[in-house]
Amino acid sequence: MVKDRVKILMAKPGLEGHWRGMTIVSSALRDAGYEVIYGGNMLPPEIGQTAAQEDVDMVGLSILSSNYMRLVSETLEELRKNNKDDVTVLLGGIIWESDFAALKHMGIAGIFTPGTPLQDIVAFVNTKTAAQPSR
Amino acid sequence: MTANNEDQIKSASGIPIKDLYIPNDIKDIDYDKEIGLPGQPPFTRGVYQTMYRGQLWTIRRLSGFNTPEDTNNLYREEYELGQTGFSIAPDISTASGMDPDDPRVVSDVGHAGAPIYSLEDMETVFDGLPIERVSTFLADRVGGLLTPAYFIMAQKRGIPMDQVRGTTANDLCTWSSMELANQPTPHTFLRMSVDLIEWCAENAPRWYPISMNSYNPRDNGITAVQELGMLMATVIQYIEEAKRRGRVPLDKFVRRFAFNMAVHNDFFEEICKLRAARRMLLKIIRDRYGIDDPKCGQLRVHVQSSGSTHTHQEPLNNLVRIAYQVMAGVLGGAQSIHANGYDEAVCLPTDQSMLLSIRTEQIVALETNVTNTIDPLGGSYFVESLTNEIEERAWDFVKKIEEVGGMAQAINTGWIHREYKAAIIDYERKLRSGEINVVGVNKFRMEKEPHSIPIFKPDPKSADILVERIKRQREQRDNAKVTKALQNLEEVVRSEENTFPAIMEAVKAQATPGELAAIPLKVYGPWTYPIGV
Repeated sequence: MVKDRVKILMAKPGLEGHWRGMTIVSSALRDAGYEVIYGGNMLPPEIGQTAAQEDVDMVGLSILSSNYMRLVSETLEELRKNNKDDVTVLLGGIIWESDFAALKHMGIAGIFTPGTPLQDIVAFVNTKTAAQPSR
Repeated sequence: MTANNEDQIKSASGIPIKDLYIPNDIKDIDYDKEIGLPGQPPFTRGVYQTMYRGQLWTIRRLSGFNTPEDTNNLYREEYELGQTGFSIAPDISTASGMDPDDPRVVSDVGHAGAPIYSLEDMETVFDGLPIERVSTFLADRVGGLLTPAYFIMAQKRGIPMDQVRGTTANDLCTWSSMELANQPTPHTFLRMSVDLIEWCAENAPRWYPISMNSYNPRDNGITAVQELGMLMATVIQYIEEAKRRGRVPLDKFVRRFAFNMAVHNDFFEEICKLRAARRMLLKIIRDRYGIDDPKCGQLRVHVQSSGSTHTHQEPLNNLVRIAYQVMAGVLGGAQSIHANGYDEAVCLPTDQSMLLSIRTEQIVALETNVTNTIDPLGGSYFVESLTNEIEERAWDFVKKIEEVGGMAQAINTGWIHREYKAAIIDYERKLRSGEINVVGVNKFRMEKEPHSIPIFKPDPKSADILVERIKRQREQRDNAKVTKALQNLEEVVRSEENTFPAIMEAVKAQATPGELAAIPLKVYGPWTYPIGV
């Protein structure tokens, strides 16, 4: 079966409760024609399982509580366990520049801190997805 | 006298602003009825007769991190620097009602606030601090451990219950504005928070068991007008619930309300919002519910600079934004103020930024002389006119909320979250079109961050310490006593009785946050957070 739309899972690993950033990015991606699954707060194993079940092409993570090194590493590990290590993983939220290199080395494709114009995020996703979204 | 372009300039809430205000703009205002004197209804000019000439506002930072010990050190430092009130920000596990060894929360323990899981932790946080003289704000979850632990600590220190001073957050809007684990349904929340208000109305006359809070909702993108409307709709919701239950006389019930609002960027709109808020509360208390004691209609408000206005880009700019927001709070007549750390869009505040936020308030208080006279903007053609306009529009929003069944129902059905979402999307659109200016973000943006700032990093060892400690607590306590206390709590939650005494008993027996939070969830079921794409 050929998927007609690029599927993106948006999730906040852990339990920190600020959802504003992730909601607005999710809306922008949906408006750009992507199929967005809004997961809300999810634990890393749930992210891995959902990514596999829904066969997503991309995972967007949002973290504002400074424990991202641990949560990102756990989430990437869960994606691997679920044979989803081929998905593109993006990270948004409060991320310190001093950690960018380490995060990219771990496998994060793009990092977006607060104040990033939404169109920049959408443009980044466009270039990362080979299949053009179609409605 | 009007200019051609007057339609084009609007306040942040979308209120058209004229180029000039003249006596004609306030000719219909009856000074005695609508403005009056400070300390007298309708309190437009302030809740107290002498305002800052009598007493300055309380400098109160919401803070805490790592462990109870580190939080105690922070509070001692803040107190020595001249802070005049304490305020506990709970860490994610405390706020979620989870024990630190709960597998769902392990990564979040000790993050974003103070971890407090027991009476012992509370005593550690306030070790050596004069709670008999200084009041404390507790951002406790409903049915949580912070309020009972604080009360028990005060009793152990020999402070009579009628002398314990402080505030519990305890408000529907605050907690539903964030997605948190273990959230009870809005109606469960309402029931248990009213339990605490009723208990305090009878037993803790100097404690404010609820802080009607529109600060957190505001950071979800809504306007000053919506913020004010939500706040007043929340007040109405709580009074309706107290009326329905009929256990405590209404005047006694409403006397215990405290308030917590945002101070945002639109300087005059924020000032007018605070003035309008006081008048609106008095109208609700006096005109809608017929409570004549003017003391019951005094809106005592803590304000906080709006976190959502602080930028990740050029974080030092936030210091300037915060100072103006604090000034708006002062000119608006606030009783207590938290100036955020300039670095809060980057990290938890460092020592340097903590010092700066206390100093910001002290400079406004002691150097600018804006405190010399009461409500210095009162009578301004513009300010009085804008105060009226905001009030009128806020009543319209109250009406909308009442039409969907009141605040609890508006939250329960997701109505309010749809408002948040629409507001966030609208804000982003305005940011892109340039209708909203944010210096360093959509105006004068630099490609590369020009200066770096110090960054606070939480201590990674905290979680291990906390997990060890709670394991020890479970081993050392009398487990039969805990089980009995929790069974009793469950029975009480299932009944119509006030739940607070049973929660106090469970905390005395050393029940953990997870054990306490599980009971209302077991009885009433969990709540699905109404936000999505």
